[in-house]
Amino acid sequence: MLLEDLLQRRLLLLTGKGGVGKSVVGQAIAVAAAAEGKRVLFVEIDAPDQAEPLLDGFADITTVDLKPQAVMDEYVRRKVRIDLIARRIVESPVYHRFFSAAPGLKELMILGKIVDSVEEKGRWSRRPQFDLVIADLPATGHGLSLLKVPSAASAAIPVGPVGRQARWIQKALRDRQRTGLVVVAIPEEMAVVEALEFDQSARDDVGMVPLAFVLNACHERPMSATQEAEVLRLSRDAAAGALDDGTPIAEALVAARRGLRQARLSRFYERRVRRGVATPLATLPFVAGPIDAAALRMLAGKLAEA
Amino acid sequence: MTPLDRALRDRRVLVVCGPGGVGKTTVSAALALRAAGLGRHVLVCTIDPSRRLATSLGLKTLGDKPRPLPLAKLLPHAKGSCAAMTLDTKRTFDAIVERHAASPEARRRILDNRFYQQISAALSGSHEYMAMEKLLELSRDDRYDLVVLDTPPTRHALDFLEAPDRMLSFLDSSVLRYFLKPYFAAGRLTLKVASRTGALALEIADKALGLQFLGDLSEFFLAFDGMYDGFKVRAAAVFELLRDPSTGFVLVSTPASQSLQESVFFHDRLSVRDMPFVSFVVNRSHLERPRTARRRAAGGSARVTPGLARLLSEIYATDQRLARQERAAIARLATLAKGRLVRLPELESDVHDLKSLAAVAELLAGPANA
Repeated sequence: MLLEDLLQRRLLLLTGKGGVGKSVVGQAIAVAAAAEGKRVLFVEIDAPDQAEPLLDGFADITTVDLKPQAVMDEYVRRKVRIDLIARRIVESPVYHRFFSAAPGLKELMILGKIVDSVEEKGRWSRRPQFDLVIADLPATGHGLSLLKVPSAASAAIPVGPVGRQARWIQKALRDRQRTGLVVVAIPEEMAVVEALEFDQSARDDVGMVPLAFVLNACHERPMSATQEAEVLRLSRDAAAGALDDGTPIAEALVAARRGLRQARLSRFYERRVRRGVATPLATLPFVAGPIDAAALRMLAGKLAEA
Repeated sequence: MTPLDRALRDRRVLVVCGPGGVGKTTVSAALALRAAGLGRHVLVCTIDPSRRLATSLGLKTLGDKPRPLPLAKLLPHAKGSCAAMTLDTKRTFDAIVERHAASPEARRRILDNRFYQQISAALSGSHEYMAMEKLLELSRDDRYDLVVLDTPPTRHALDFLEAPDRMLSFLDSSVLRYFLKPYFAAGRLTLKVASRTGALALEIADKALGLQFLGDLSEFFLAFDGMYDGFKVRAAAVFELLRDPSTGFVLVSTPASQSLQESVFFHDRLSVRDMPFVSFVVNRSHLERPRTARRRAAGGSARVTPGLARLLSEIYATDQRLARQERAAIARLATLAKGRLVRLPELESDVHDLKSLAAVAELLAGPANA
């Protein structure tokens, strides 16, 4: 249901607090979309150099990492058209001091580039090159700033091409048929608080209604209720010593209680998100250890079930 | 006493850096509580627009005025105190304009300027710069003898250090001025200009931005004229402050490899810039069980149902496997740290009130393992 909703869009924007696994969720959606036969572009913004090329093995998924300065330079080249002049501008100190340092301008160019890539045609084709563009936006505080840029820019620069571009981007972002905003969180107090704030602020300040909420890294209950009761009883009795295989009981109980707590928190925050927002919610399981292609396929499968 | 505790006792400014999502805000607040426990009068300041500190301090809202935390119950014997605040980027920017504008008229012209109103609001880049300005102001406030600064969640932790340079180069109107001034001074906007490069740049700017915007812009820079030097002086002062031996950087990460690499990188940049490193904090670690304890545990046993016993063995084995993987992952950091590294365990409970924060503050004492 939820996945179907996501895949009907042409552009998905992922946002959330840093460290909640936005990229992983975005990549899982990309894998799920490719499995449905869609040609997908996965966009990262100024990704860390060490990012793992996880999506390389998927034939229908193209990835791109947008570097703000390069996008800005490209914009100038395209506007100016004459190579020599464009080069002089890009190399001039005025450009570097102002255009590349002006707050918001790069962000506007980045968003423009993302929105633009939705309609990008293949070389010999009239058909857009990608069915779905998935963009992994920077962490929440900044992510929202990024989405606020078009309205800020169209207020600051009401006339002229940048103002036009800002309004065009804003229109594309607010088009609910084409564009979907996906808010990602993990079952932790701060991540959830921030995501709920973001959900509200996206509506109030940007005029976007989030399409989906993903609660990532949820822990499943590690044992039955009877076993849980036994763990709590053993803990209360301060059970010590070792199991037959040498496992120290007290330490194992600490780890078990931590697992139980994580599962409890997952359930708690899932309920809290369901109560807090009307946005449809999907939960994804916690993956122990590094994420690989198999893990992405598993997560994509979970999204399809949600 | 660990190097971190010595810093909490002696330094005047601690800057807490790290990529988003590693628990920087929680660590900052816990550091502040620990310093208060050591008798300091601490102010902890967060810049995050999402007001996360308020959550971890159990306060509903946290204003841009310092608010004392109720520590009497928590640390009844502490001579120190702790106040918390959050940074309001726009208000800080406005206050700077009000304080430093050349004349009341210039002040009004800046505050009313459309361009200023947009850049001073939450556009990225302004946060980092205003955090620096605020840090300078707070470090001179004699109500506090230690300021703990939580930094904005940047994609690259290093963005924070580079913000003043970027902001200054933007505000450095000398280049812009020479081609913007004539139009404004003439009272109307024309495309006539003396220098050919200037004319070219202006033509492009006009094409891209429109004349209206250039009008706003040149007015902004004209009004800002007298203030730029002040910005430059303060940026230099911040730079000095960040290099001062009474300042220290605490680099927070998790055991995830990407987050550790950022910390290593940041550490390198600090030494290149001659900025004082205090300690790494690796948050959410799984800790290995010491060998001696392992021996002690052998023999004697509680009665555990066989099914649960199997499960407990599995859970414990997974936990220790993670701990070993993490130890290997932080080896590089540990070498750099030379003992200045604290691993905080993955906690049994969530940190979002003062009491649980105080528990984290306790844990900051160690294990300081190399």
